[in-house]
Amino acid sequence: MTKEYAKIGEYSAVEAMVCHSARFLANFDGKKGLIGTGLPLVASQLAKKLYSPNMIIFIETGQADANPQELAISIMDSRLTYGSSWQMGDPEGLYPLSRNEIDFGFIGGAQIDKYGNVNSTFIGGDYNKPAKRLAGTAGAVDIGVFAKTTVILMAHQKRRVCEFVDYLTTPGWMVKKWPEGTLVRREELGLQGGPSCFISSMGICKFNDDDKVMYLDKYFPGITLEQIKENTGFDIDVSRADEADHILVDEIRLLREEIDPLNIYKMR
Amino acid sequence: MKTSKVVSLKEAIQEVRDGDVILTGGIVENRRPVAASMEMVRQKKKNLVLIGTCSLSDDILVGGGCVEAYRGCYTSNGAFGISPNMKRRTEEGTIITDEIGHIDYCLGLMAGQAGLPFVASKTDIGTDVLNPAYDNLSKTAEVARDKTMLPNKKYVLMEDPFFGMGTIQLLPAIKLDVCICHVQMAGEEGTVRIDGSLTFDHLGALCAKKVIITAEQIVPESYIRQDPNRNCIPCTSVDMVVEVPWGAHPGQVYNCYDMDIPFLQEYAKMCATQEGFDKWAAQWIFNQNGHWDYLDKLGVSRLEKLRALPPYGYVPRNKGGVK
Repeated sequence: MTKEYAKIGEYSAVEAMVCHSARFLANFDGKKGLIGTGLPLVASQLAKKLYSPNMIIFIETGQADANPQELAISIMDSRLTYGSSWQMGDPEGLYPLSRNEIDFGFIGGAQIDKYGNVNSTFIGGDYNKPAKRLAGTAGAVDIGVFAKTTVILMAHQKRRVCEFVDYLTTPGWMVKKWPEGTLVRREELGLQGGPSCFISSMGICKFNDDDKVMYLDKYFPGITLEQIKENTGFDIDVSRADEADHILVDEIRLLREEIDPLNIYKMR
Repeated sequence: MKTSKVVSLKEAIQEVRDGDVILTGGIVENRRPVAASMEMVRQKKKNLVLIGTCSLSDDILVGGGCVEAYRGCYTSNGAFGISPNMKRRTEEGTIITDEIGHIDYCLGLMAGQAGLPFVASKTDIGTDVLNPAYDNLSKTAEVARDKTMLPNKKYVLMEDPFFGMGTIQLLPAIKLDVCICHVQMAGEEGTVRIDGSLTFDHLGALCAKKVIITAEQIVPESYIRQDPNRNCIPCTSVDMVVEVPWGAHPGQVYNCYDMDIPFLQEYAKMCATQEGFDKWAAQWIFNQNGHWDYLDKLGVSRLEKLRALPPYGYVPRNKGGVK
């Protein structure tokens, strides 16, 4: 791979988000990940090619060590079956999580709050008559509860990156203790793990060690701190952020020519 | 057992009763019993309680007015967007939804399969799945023909008495009136062989009072019994078997055919409104005298382009696959 940088404007914000996610997955080379549907599938394909060739992919529809030859269109695409070590069903795909085998979960979502809680169930209105119905819990609940850590990928928009999620699907650092719904730290409920990183279309966010509130760690080339503050639904701390490395020509070429040549995931 | 269970699709679906608690096999757009769903719409089933997920075959039931309540974990058609009929009816507030987690669903079926009343897990701890304000289980039970099919509580929280794992939840077993699965191969007495993901079918079929299998191919029972380790559902749990080639179109069936992307895109677009679904259904469900007419309308060349190539089990892009 050559270290030739792509010019800003020659790639989309979504492509940048996917490339930075793939780079972050270098932390998990040789580790076991449960990969969610959508862009996480794309980023994990890029990571396998460039940054974490020995990452072990589990899929919730029952594939262990999946090695798809081409990008899957859904979470139970036949493309995920061929080349995997083991193909059973959804229970066998998910129980590695509850057995504590999964080092990281990698998911998207529709909303993320300052504690790293993710919503993929509904936005706006009421649960019984939502303004926007989404995909629901699927593996997102289970990944947030059981994975040793989670990595979250989502476009950076004011309505998405918010003070508190409309529905708490994937538990982050401050979660709800029932029956009252009191906000407590996740470890108080005996939950291990927690989100390590939120990769957006503008930068990379992490969480304070003490109060577990999200802060900006890196901003992408071409994006200003002001833009990030404007597009965040709470007063995000950007004081510790520095610029992320530029996107490589090779990353974009792989995404466009080898991974998603048909633009199935509408990245460009 | 020596009885053939082979019936017609029409006969099989006549056994589904209004108000049944139902699970359809496969997930998203893989191995979904679409032909069976279309026949349920044709027969105007009502008040079904849908368990598990709501994607392609289930969303057709929702659009067709067959479903009044949904209890599950996934309402999306993958890359083709949120299941359009489910999305519309949820946003109108005209369908009852009750979220459960994905592992909940697996464990609930596992309990059902083992004949247990409940199991324990940590699956939804800390999340809104446990929010009492969003608990629609009792409303769901009101829709069911037999209310005892649904548990009288969504969950019970307690401290782990055995390993000190903190707060855990007790999850009730899932019970089903009907389970309908579409599979690659079935013997004439009901033994089932599945290629690719088993999804929940191997559990669902063991939890249901009535099991209908639609298969790409029905083979002599003696053939499928030559390698019992490869079989996924025993004949003893199956009530009816129907041969329905291309029965999951426009979805895919591993080792048989790939998904029909233009068809799925058109479905997503048309079903944004009820009028659109009705128009789609008029064209693809009601104007047809059953599944064979549907296949004739699609045409041989369209279907042949979708036929899976060995050894992949789908049509790779570089070999003329999905565009």
